[in-house]
Amino acid sequence: MLRLILQRLLALVPLLFIVSVLTFSFTSLLPSDPVDLILGDTGTEEQHEMLRERLGLNQPVHVRYMQWFGRAVQGDLGTSFFNSVSVMGAVMQRLPVTLSLTAVSAIIAIVVGVAAGIAAALRPRSWIDRFATLGATFGQAVPNFWFGLILAAIFAVNLRWFPATGFTPISDSPWDWLRSVILPSIALGTSSSAAIARQVRSAMVGVLQQDYIRAARAQGLSARRIVLKHALTNAMVPVVAVLSFQITVLLGGALVVEQVFAINGLGTLAIGAVRQQDIPMIQGLVLVMVALVVVVQLATDVIYGLLNPKARPS
Amino acid sequence: MTGSSTTPPHGPRQPRRLLVASSLIATMATGVLVLLGLLAVFADVVAPYDPLRQNLIEALQWPSSSHWLGTDDLGRDVLSRLIHGSRIAVIAAAEGTAIAVLLGVPLGLFIGYRGGWWDWIVMRIVEAIVSIPGIMVAIVIIAILGPGLHKAMIALGILYSTSFLRLARGVVLAEREEVYVRSARVIGASDSRILLRHILPNIAPPLIVQVTLTVGAVLLSEAGLSFIGLGVQPPDASWGTMLNSAAAFMDLNWFLAIPPGIAIIVTVLAVNLLGDVIRDSIGRGVAIAAKPEATPTHSGKPAPAAVAEPVVLPRLKNEVLRVENLEVMVGSGAGLPIITDLSFSIAKGETLGLVGESGSGKTMTGLAVLGLMGAGLRTTHGSIVLNGRELRSLSQKQMEAVRGNEVAMVFQDPTTSLNPAFTVGSQIAEVLRSKQGLSQKQAWARTVELIDRVGIPRAEERARAYPHELSGGMAQRIAIARALSCNPSLLIADEPTTALDVTVQQEILDLFRDLQGEFGMAILFVTHDLAVAADICDRISVMYAGEMVEMAGVDTLFSAPLHPYTRGLLEAMPHASDRNPPLPTIRGSVPRPGSWPTGCRFSNRCDFRIKGCEQRIPLTGTDRLVRCIRADELALEAAQ
Amino acid sequence: MKRRIRDAILSMAIAAGFGLGVTAAHAEPEGTFKYAEQVKLITMDPQQQSGSGVPYLRPVYESLFERGTDGKPVPLLATGYEVDGLDVTIKLREGVSFSNGEAFNAEVAAANINRGVELAIVEGLKTVDGAEAVDEFTLRIKLKEPDPAIIDSLCHTGGMMLAPAAIADPALDRNPIGTGPYVYNKDESREGEVRVYTPNPTYWDKDKIGLARYEVWELPDDTARLNALKTGQIDAGNWLANPQSAIIDRTPGLKLVRGTGGLNYHVIISDREGTVVPAFADLNVRKAMAHAIDREAFGKAVQFGLAEKSFQPYGKGDWAYDPALEGIYEFDLDKAREFMARSEFSDGFTFDMPSIPIYQSRLEALAGFFNEIGITMNIVPQEPGTLARVSRTTNYPATNLVWATNTDPKFLALRYIYEDAAYNPFKAKPSEDLLNLAKEGLESVDTAIRAPIYQEMAARLAEEAFLIFVTNTPILIGVSEATANNPSVVYRFGEDSINLRGLKAND
Repeated sequence: MLRLILQRLLALVPLLFIVSVLTFSFTSLLPSDPVDLILGDTGTEEQHEMLRERLGLNQPVHVRYMQWFGRAVQGDLGTSFFNSVSVMGAVMQRLPVTLSLTAVSAIIAIVVGVAAGIAAALRPRSWIDRFATLGATFGQAVPNFWFGLILAAIFAVNLRWFPATGFTPISDSPWDWLRSVILPSIALGTSSSAAIARQVRSAMVGVLQQDYIRAARAQGLSARRIVLKHALTNAMVPVVAVLSFQITVLLGGALVVEQVFAINGLGTLAIGAVRQQDIPMIQGLVLVMVALVVVVQLATDVIYGLLNPKARPS
Repeated sequence: MTGSSTTPPHGPRQPRRLLVASSLIATMATGVLVLLGLLAVFADVVAPYDPLRQNLIEALQWPSSSHWLGTDDLGRDVLSRLIHGSRIAVIAAAEGTAIAVLLGVPLGLFIGYRGGWWDWIVMRIVEAIVSIPGIMVAIVIIAILGPGLHKAMIALGILYSTSFLRLARGVVLAEREEVYVRSARVIGASDSRILLRHILPNIAPPLIVQVTLTVGAVLLSEAGLSFIGLGVQPPDASWGTMLNSAAAFMDLNWFLAIPPGIAIIVTVLAVNLLGDVIRDSIGRGVAIAAKPEATPTHSGKPAPAAVAEPVVLPRLKNEVLRVENLEVMVGSGAGLPIITDLSFSIAKGETLGLVGESGSGKTMTGLAVLGLMGAGLRTTHGSIVLNGRELRSLSQKQMEAVRGNEVAMVFQDPTTSLNPAFTVGSQIAEVLRSKQGLSQKQAWARTVELIDRVGIPRAEERARAYPHELSGGMAQRIAIARALSCNPSLLIADEPTTALDVTVQQEILDLFRDLQGEFGMAILFVTHDLAVAADICDRISVMYAGEMVEMAGVDTLFSAPLHPYTRGLLEAMPHASDRNPPLPTIRGSVPRPGSWPTGCRFSNRCDFRIKGCEQRIPLTGTDRLVRCIRADELALEAAQ
Repeated sequence: MKRRIRDAILSMAIAAGFGLGVTAAHAEPEGTFKYAEQVKLITMDPQQQSGSGVPYLRPVYESLFERGTDGKPVPLLATGYEVDGLDVTIKLREGVSFSNGEAFNAEVAAANINRGVELAIVEGLKTVDGAEAVDEFTLRIKLKEPDPAIIDSLCHTGGMMLAPAAIADPALDRNPIGTGPYVYNKDESREGEVRVYTPNPTYWDKDKIGLARYEVWELPDDTARLNALKTGQIDAGNWLANPQSAIIDRTPGLKLVRGTGGLNYHVIISDREGTVVPAFADLNVRKAMAHAIDREAFGKAVQFGLAEKSFQPYGKGDWAYDPALEGIYEFDLDKAREFMARSEFSDGFTFDMPSIPIYQSRLEALAGFFNEIGITMNIVPQEPGTLARVSRTTNYPATNLVWATNTDPKFLALRYIYEDAAYNPFKAKPSEDLLNLAKEGLESVDTAIRAPIYQEMAARLAEEAFLIFVTNTPILIGVSEATANNPSVVYRFGEDSINLRGLKAND
C-alpha cells in the first residue's frame, strides 16, 4: 500500500508542475496591466515604474515563473496585488470553509447515492427502482444554486431550522457548524448523489448477477451480508473511480453555492480575485485547488486499491 | 460539470416496455426542446411584453392575468424574460457545445494520429485542466476574456473540449490498430485515407452521446456563471441572471426564483433524457445481438395444464434428496414453463449425473433445489424434500439456514465464483463463522485444514491469496473446500470441471470421489460431458427441454441407451480410439422454452419420429426410466 | 484677501473631557459591540482609502478634528486652530501617544499630512501644499489655494494620524497603528470576515473606552447582513436603501436609523468629451439621459420609498441647497426622446457601466430607463469596494457613485470639475463658468457668501448635465432594539458609523 501511495505521489509531480505552468502562463495573458489596475490612473510614471519593479513585472515571463515556482514549492504563493495579504494565508483561511461544504456534501452524496443505488439495484424495475432512477435523473438536472435558494427559503427563512446565511467554524461550535453547512451541502450534494446512485445501481445490478454472489447465496450467507459486504465491496470499485471526479465537481460547485448562502469561502475569494484581476491570488487558488483534487485522487486511488486487490502492485 | 460521469445506468430489462417507455420519453423530451427552440426563434412574437421594458410602479408583483408569472424587481414581465431567456439558453448551448466539438475533435484526431510528443504534451495539459474543478477553469478563462455570454461560452467550450478531445483521440487510437492489421493485407491504400474512412462512422455514435451530455452541462454551467455574475450580464434576461436577481428578493417575493429554476430543470432534464435514450439505443444494437435469450417474454403459449405425471420413482435407501413433479416457470402472469414434471432422488454417498445440452434445464434444476433461481423464476409445482424436509414450504430465513449446512453448490467457473475482493481463506472462514458460529481463530484453523484437505500445498499461505492469484484448478479446490466446509449432506456440482484444463479435470474428479468417500455426501453432478459423467456418476439422468428423457445406472445407459436423444449424445461423444471420422452431431438445437413441440419435445430433431410422437409422452419404467414411445424398439436395436 | 482669524478653541469640549476624567469613577471596559460594514475592506491605510469603509478605520485612527452632533468641526487630536490666509496653524493635544508607544507631536502630524499630500488620494488634502512643525505641538499647514473646508477635511481620513512605524510598514494596509481608543487585533481578525479591535492600553482618554472588544464584520451581502442583525450576530450595520433595509424598517425588534446627511446617487459621464463614447460629448444626449430617469418610481421600487428625487448635489436643508433646481430634469420621456432626436445619435449607442452588487438593481433600472431612449447600457460587475477606484480610471466612460450631501461643495470641483479632478479620468476641460465659480467659492468661509456661488454652480452643473443626480437617501444604519435603546450609541454626523469614544456594550 505504501508503495502504491509513493508511486501515485511521484506521478503527481508532473501534473502539479504542468498545472503551475498552465496557470502561470494563462494568468500572464490577462489583458490589463496589473500596475494600472493597482494604481488606477493615479500615480506618476515613476511610481508606476517602481511598482512594476517591486512586482517583478519588468522581468521576462519565464524568469518570473521560476521565481514564483521557487517560492511556491516552499509554500509561499506570493502576496495579493491589492493588499498585503499573503495568498497562502488568504487561501488557508478560506479553505476550511470550502472544505467543510465539500466534505459534508460528499458524505451526503455518498450516503444517499449508495443507499438509493443499492435499494434500486436490489429490486430492479420495482417502484423503489423507478423512484430512485427518476430522482437521480431529476437530481442531475437541478442547478445546485437554485436548489440552495429554495432550501434556504423553506428551511431557513420560513421554518427557521437553519441559518440562512453565514458559516460558523467547527472550532467555535460543532453543532452550529453543522447547522450552517447542512443546507448548502444538501444543495451541493444532490446532483452528485444522483450521479453516484446511478453508478451504484448499475454496478450493483452487474455485481449481483455475478457468480460469486450466487455462490455466496448457495453457501447460505445472509442476504444482508451478501449485499453489504460481498456485493457492495465489488460494486464500489467503479463507484470509487467516479467518486474522485464527483469530489472535484463538488469542490467547484461549492464556489457557486457559497454565494447563495453568503459564505466566505474560496468561491468568494476566487470571484473577487477574478473581478479585480488579482493575478497572484488566482494563481494560488488554482494551485491549491489542484493540490486538493490531487489529494482526493490519491485517497480514492488508495481506497480503490483496498477494494480491488487486482489493482495493487504485488 | 456534472453529467459526463454518467454511465449506462440500466441493467437488463424488458425491451418491449422499455421501447414504449423510451420512445415516449424521447418524444416528450424532443417536444420540450423543439418548443424551446421555437420560443427562442420567435421570442419577440411570443413574449407578451418587451423583456427589458420596466415598470417600477408594478415591481415584484405576484402572478396575475396581465402578468402570468408576475413581475420582477423592476416591474419587468417574468414570462417575457423567461421566453427571451430561452433564446440565450439555446445560443449558450449551441455556442458552448460547438466550440467544444470544433476545438476538441480536430485536436483529438490530430494528436491521436500524430502521436509522439504532440500527444504526450496535449494529453498532460488535458489532464491538468481536468484536475481543476470545471467552474474554476471557466472562472480563470473569464478572468482573461472578461465576463459576458459569448466569452463565458468560449470558456465553457474550452473546458468541455477536453472530453471531445479524449473521445476523438480514443477512436483514432482504436481504429489505428485495426487499420494497420487490415492494411497489411490490402496493399496500396494509404494508411491515413483508410484511417479517416474508418474514423468517421466510429466516432459518430459516441460523439452524439457526448454532445447531449455537454449540452446539459453547458446549460447548467451557464446558469451558474450568470448566477455568480460572470456569465450573461444584466439587464439581459438569462435564466441564470434572473435567478441572480431573484436571490436578492427572496424575502419579498420568493416566486421570482421558481420560473427560471423550473425552466432550467425542464430543459436540462429533456436534454439528459434524450441523451439517455440515444445512448441506450446506440448501446442496445450491441447488447441485443449479444444475448437475445436472456430476456424471455411471456408472449409464448400458455402453460400446459399441470396434470402431474404419476411418480414412478422408487424410494431409495438412505435417500437424501427427493424431487417430485418439479415445475419451474419464468415470467409473470401465467408464466412459461422451463422445467416440467421433473422427479428424481439421490441417496447418501451416491452421485447422480444430470446430463444434457445447454438449455435443457439441468443447471436450473440444481438452483431450484437451492431455491436460488433468480428474478422472474419460480417453482410452481412439485416438491423438493431434503433430508425428509419439504424445502418449498420453508421461509427465506429457513432456506438460508439449509443452504451451506445441508446443501452446497460448486459452480462451473471457479475464478468467478470466488469473490475477487477477499482472500480465499477469509471466504471459507466467513462461512464457518456465520453458519457454524466458530470464532475467528477456530474458523481460520479449520479453513487452513480444509484447504489442506482439498490437496493444496502450503495451505496457510494460500489461504491468504486472492482468487486472481490462484490457478483455475486451485480455485476450484478452494470452492469445493468452501462448499464442504459445513459438511452438507448434498453437494450440487454444476459443471465443476468444464472451465478447467483437461489434466486438471481429472484431478478434480478424483477429489470429488475422494471427498465423497470421506464425507459421504450425495452429489448431484450437472454436466454436458458424458465422459465426465461416466467417470464419476453412479446413475445418470438425461434432460432435454426442461424434462427428464431417460435415467439409468451409468453402465446401463452407456451400453443400452433407450432414448434417441441419449443415443445422439453418446454418438457425439469423442472416443480416443477413433478420432478420424467427423463426430456425428444431433441436428438442430434445443428448442427454447415457449417453442417446445407439443408432443415429444425431441420430436423435431428425432430420426425415429412417428405420428404417435405428437402426443404427450409419459416417463415409463421403474429402475430405469425413459420418455419415448419407441423405447422398446430402440432397446432391441441396441441389443443387436 | 481679507484676513480673518477665527478662534476655535472649544473650551467646552475640553472641559467636559477633562472633567469626566476627574470625577467619574474609572469604569472597566466590558462587553462586545459588533458592527457590520457593507463594503469590503480594501485597505486600512486611511491615506490610500478612496471609497467607503471608514468604520474599519475609526477604532484605530483618530483625526485632528471630528464633527460634532451639529456637523461643525470640534477638535479631537487638535485643541484649536487658526487660519491666516494660506496658513492653517493647528494646536495639537499634548500627552497623546500612539498605541505602539511612539509619541504624537507636530513632527509626526506634519509627516502624516505630507504623506497624504504626496499620495494624492485623499481629496480633502488636494488644496494642501505641505505641512511643517512650528514647535512640538504646533502644526502649520500651507495651502495652495484658499480652502474654507480644510478643517472639515481634517475631520475625515485626511486628518487621521498614523504612527511613524506604521507609515514605514509596507504592510500598513493590514497593520494599522493610531492613537485611537482601540487597537487592531490582527490575530483574532479573520481576513474578509471580521476585524477585531481591543482596548488601547495607552489611550489618552481612558474613560472613553467602554468596550472590551469591538468587531467590524465584513458582510457585503445585504441579506446576510440582515440575517446577522436579526439573529443578534451583529448589533448594528450600515445599509443602502434596498429591500433589506426596507425589511429592517418594518421588522419589529429592529430599527432603521436615518442618519444625518444624505447619500446622493448620481451618474457621472466621465467621457464627456467623447473620447471613447462620442455620444457623451453631445449635450442633447446627456440631457436626454437626465430626463429619461423616472426618479419617483426609482425611489419607490428600487429604494423602497427610502429616497427622494434629486436634481442637485446638495440635500434639502443644506446651506447650498437651491429649491429652484427641483424638477429641472423631471421624468419626461417625450422630452428625452426629443433631445435624443435632436442629437447626432438618434439611433442610439452603447456604453459600459461599472457595477458593484449593491448598485446592481439601481443600474438595471437605469439601464431600463436609458433603453427607452435607445441607449444600451452594459453593466460590468466589479469587485465590491473597488468601484471608486475604477471610477478614477479611463476603463469606463461613465460611472455611478454617491455624493455625501454634507461634504463641502468645494469638493464638487475637486472631484468632478477640475481637469485633474479625481473622477475626471478623461481630463475633460471644465467650462470657464464652472472654473470661476469653483474659485469664487473658496474665497470666503462664510456660508452666506458662498451659498449663492454654489447654487450657481449646481445650476451650471445641471445645465452641462454630466452629473446626473438620481435620488438622495439618508445614511441608513440598521440596529437591534438593544442598540436603539443604548444611550451610549452616538451616530457620527454624516458618516455611516458609530462614534466609538464612550460607546458601551448593549445590556
